Amino acid sequence: MTQEELAEKVGVTRQTIISLEAARYNPSLLLARNITVALKQKYVEDVFIMR
Amino acid sequence: MIGKSHWFKRRKYSGWGVVPATWQGWVYTAVMISPLVFLSFVQVNEAVPAILIIWVIVFAIDMADIMIRLPQDERERQHEATAERNALWVILAILATGIAFETAQTAVKGKDILVDPVIIIAILAGLIAKAATNWYLDRHN
Repeated sequence: MTQEELAEKVGVTRQTIISLEAARYNPSLLLARNITVALKQKYVEDVFIMR
Repeated sequence: MIGKSHWFKRRKYSGWGVVPATWQGWVYTAVMISPLVFLSFVQVNEAVPAILIIWVIVFAIDMADIMIRLPQDERERQHEATAERNALWVILAILATGIAFETAQTAVKGKDILVDPVIIIAILAGLIAKAATNWYLDRHN
């Protein structure tokens, strides 16, 4: 899945996905959950690391 | 309304408002502005100013609608809120310094205090807007 496709699926801009990948932006719980679902993962922790 | 919000993007580096992001946005802007430019130079008859006023009102309402409906994700909203807050702090700091300076200067010279009431009204209106926003957010968010 491309950044563009993921962005469209979860309703954010590609720039937001880029910032998330670079760990520059902390997503809301809702966005984190939506990305987890879009990436077909079970838990938010499978996608994001809490720091 | 007439214009679509996805034709525009938020102005980030050159002030406030929106700028066209697509060719439809540019066409919309040109179509909406050209009659204003034309009618302001060519006064055909007495009815022209009334048409001009109606056109400006329609344009202003439509632009407000576009700005309200502008698509934003949570990161963009957060950025906008922080940028607007910083801009407001700078504006308020300069206004407060200016008012204090003018007040001190007129007091030293023994004249009446000359502070533009529009500035005071703007600050008070901002204060009310802030209080209303906090009141609403405290209850609904």
